[in-house]
Amino acid sequence: MIYEVFARKDHHQELKHVGSVDAADDELAKVYAWALYDEESWVEMCVVPRSAIIPVTEHGRVPVWGN
Amino acid sequence: MTAVKDLTADQAERALIEKIQAGFTVESEEDMTPGYKKALLTQLTVQGDTELMSGPAYYLAARDAPTINSRIAVIAIVHDELGHANIAYRLMEDLGVDKRWLIYGREPHEFKHPYGFDQPLENWAEMVVANGFFDRAGICLLSDVHENTSYGPLRRALVKVDREEILHLRHGESWMRRLAKAGGEAREALQRAVDWMFPMTLEWFGLPDHLKRHSDQLVYRLKGKTNDQLRQTWMAATVPLCESIGIKVPAHYDAAKGEYVIDYPFPCQYDPEAKRWLFDEPITWDQVFERWKARGPMNQRYVEMIQGKADGLFGGRRW
Repeated sequence: MIYEVFARKDHHQELKHVGSVDAADDELAKVYAWALYDEESWVEMCVVPRSAIIPVTEHGRVPVWGN
Repeated sequence: MTAVKDLTADQAERALIEKIQAGFTVESEEDMTPGYKKALLTQLTVQGDTELMSGPAYYLAARDAPTINSRIAVIAIVHDELGHANIAYRLMEDLGVDKRWLIYGREPHEFKHPYGFDQPLENWAEMVVANGFFDRAGICLLSDVHENTSYGPLRRALVKVDREEILHLRHGESWMRRLAKAGGEAREALQRAVDWMFPMTLEWFGLPDHLKRHSDQLVYRLKGKTNDQLRQTWMAATVPLCESIGIKVPAHYDAAKGEYVIDYPFPCQYDPEAKRWLFDEPITWDQVFERWKARGPMNQRYVEMIQGKADGLFGGRRW
């Protein structure tokens, strides 16, 4: 399953999309995201199953997140 | 430029190329033509494979690190490189390519990384020159893609990659300065590494522009600079660095021409066993492609390190 990865650099900044991982379950998705997107000392990181994202714009009919 | 002609002959291809020229960002497979998708997948394969194969090369070289901290630094670089490979392959998965096949399903000679990553890095000097030269080449290529690519997901993915590659480069260049300053054997080892790795990286950028047969990647704005422009960008960084630390390189800046000039017949033959360029044996680019296609001495070993050895304890290519 594909999970989109979001992270926040510090408390004053927005949560931003930093990439995606392919994982068998939520626990592995957390581990992959933390190990792979380690370019910053994030104060917050979360993963969202891509299938849970509800597109609003027309372009979002297919995922355009990529990485 | 036959490939370009073929593309523009097709109505849909021409429409997409015009849209891209007007600033359109491609976001999903729906936006793509078959030609665009093929060119993008080729680019991502080379990018991912290059990152992946730097891993085993650097890992083996890390054994020669002079201190525990410098060894940890290289292992951290290997970690980054594997992450970068994953990013390219992850993008390819969204275009229907199987990542397991990419990593485990291909034979060693089917990977698309440059010939430079088929070579053994046998000492610390070679390790840090790889960071200083190969990672510099990676930065030249990828920062151009980052600035120019028409593919939105790749542009965003490269933010992380660019940042980390700059750290690798800093590691390489600061160690090159250090070894040069140390003098003696350290300095000699550095010069020997530069002697084979400088021409190796020049060749990496590929066919000179006057021989370039197709430029799908430029037509679809998957990159911005030509091979020769990228080679110049690389030399503009590496030649002054080497000159400043008293290390000789076979290239110099020609003020009259306003560009860097290579001081040997380019391309020429290479002896991978002796790690020596035969400047008295000029060859054609077709011969270079033959040499690349035959792969270098470490190709099999590096791929086995990634995939597992076929007849090893745990078997190989399990997928």
